[in-house]
Amino acid sequence: MPKIRRTRKKAPEGYELIEETLNELTIKMKEAENESHEGKRKVESLWPVFKIHHQRSRYIFDLFYKRKAISRELYDWCMREGIADPNLIAKWKKQGYENLCCLRCIQTRDTNFGTTCVCRVPKSKLEEGKVVECVHCGCRGCCG
Amino acid sequence: MTLSLGNNKYNRQNWEDSDFPILCPTCLGDNPYIRMMKDKYGKECSICERPFTTFRWCPGRGMRYKKTEICQTCAKMKNVCQTCVFDLEYGLPVAVRDHALGLKDDIPTGDFNKEHFHQNLGKELALQGDDLREAHSAPNAFLERISAGRKGPYYKRNLPHICSFWVKGECRRGEECPYRHEKPSDPDDPLSVQNIVDRFYGTKDPVADKLLRRAEEMPSMAPPEDKTITTLWCGGVTSALTETDLQEYFYQFGEVACINIVQKNSCAFVQFTKRESAEHAANKCYGRLDLKGVRLNVRWGKPQQSGAKHHADVEKTTPVPGLPGPLPNPGKVTQYDPSKRAKLAESVPKPMSEPIDLPTMGAMGAPRAPSEFAGPDKGGNSGFQKIHYPSQSKDRMGSGKYSHMAPPSQYNNANQGQKRPGQKRAASDWN
Repeated sequence: MPKIRRTRKKAPEGYELIEETLNELTIKMKEAENESHEGKRKVESLWPVFKIHHQRSRYIFDLFYKRKAISRELYDWCMREGIADPNLIAKWKKQGYENLCCLRCIQTRDTNFGTTCVCRVPKSKLEEGKVVECVHCGCRGCCG
Repeated sequence: MTLSLGNNKYNRQNWEDSDFPILCPTCLGDNPYIRMMKDKYGKECSICERPFTTFRWCPGRGMRYKKTEICQTCAKMKNVCQTCVFDLEYGLPVAVRDHALGLKDDIPTGDFNKEHFHQNLGKELALQGDDLREAHSAPNAFLERISAGRKGPYYKRNLPHICSFWVKGECRRGEECPYRHEKPSDPDDPLSVQNIVDRFYGTKDPVADKLLRRAEEMPSMAPPEDKTITTLWCGGVTSALTETDLQEYFYQFGEVACINIVQKNSCAFVQFTKRESAEHAANKCYGRLDLKGVRLNVRWGKPQQSGAKHHADVEKTTPVPGLPGPLPNPGKVTQYDPSKRAKLAESVPKPMSEPIDLPTMGAMGAPRAPSEFAGPDKGGNSGFQKIHYPSQSKDRMGSGKYSHMAPPSQYNNANQGQKRPGQKRAASDWN
């Protein structure tokens, strides 16, 4: 079903091309939101939400910056509508943060000792460490 | 309105506040760098149930995060670590330490009595200052011995707990599960039922019971009544340890008369010239001693066996009649004469250069009956009539195992006359 339109104007041209994928992602997001919590940890139920959010923003970001398939206008319109996350994309433009999973994982105020999340540690430095799924978004390593 | 625990001042007299926890080195872990979290009034003490400052840290790679379980007042009362509730000096359970030192605390365990006691205790301790239970000046030998059993810190205590989901077969986390995927300890084992309150008060502690039982069964260190015994027995002597090593260690207690190592039984006997030196040595290292990486079990030597004889170890078997006695010792060995040996190959090892004086035993030919012999001591023919082993009988050849495959009788009859038990066959007997 159509999302709530935040801006008054209609979508700019080129929206029809991306509309389909975006609708699919919206449906996926709704499913993730309504999933049952059975068999999952308390934090684990939130992971798909973060994942799809990342995926959606990634899609717009890739289209504009990497493939240059949409116009600036459409890109800005998506940001304003809330389809892509401007804060997250701002981090992706920085060196070292290109694959950042979510904004919670770099928030040092959220940790006990004022550090970043464990998923930001490069695998080489993790030393034999087994698979880590970060508690915020279930990420298994988003650096490098 | 006052949401923070630290801000609300009502009814906070009994709440404990501290800057740093009282912990034992094992709980802190192997890493000298630790990041510790402090939580004011984080939890209530497991013993007195009053809020106290909890501390939380990671004791090493792969370990679970540990936190203080009992408050400082309770810990100071018993002089134990705040997490593991083991004694700070010896690392032993409260019950064991109290038994050894003869301490008896009548701390109320009931509801209101307990609250009242702990309330007042807090104030008393604050007045006394940092008095952590009179440090006993003389390190208790008994406790030292028991705690010497542990070679190094026991970090297994800090491991993560068993994954209860995995035990049921339901662990979804798989690789990234931080809990241990191992079999839990046997529920019938008394050691698996432990309770922090019981351990603190010293009642119903299965670990303490086990330690005390083991200590009782250890042979007592008391010097033997016989004052002439000056020997210590050391068990667990491997080939790595030489007499010089033992000498080097034991001479600090006094002059060592002699040292005997019996490799066969992996033991050694260290004999001192003076009884006091032996006692001093026993005080220092009775029970357990580590020399050059070898763990030795030190006890008092048993009388009459300072290493010279080892009869106790030799099983006394029934002597076989009909066998000749032990061979007599060879006569005097003359000095090595290289000229006579010049023709021999070089690989032949040289005999000892010193002549060996051995007691000669007369005629070399006559076999003698051994001294344990109950039978007639005539030697010679008497041995032939007693048949101990079936193979000694004249009408048989060999051990009897293959007697059903006896060779044709012509061979049997031919050899009968020549058979003599215990005598060597002449070369001509064999075809």
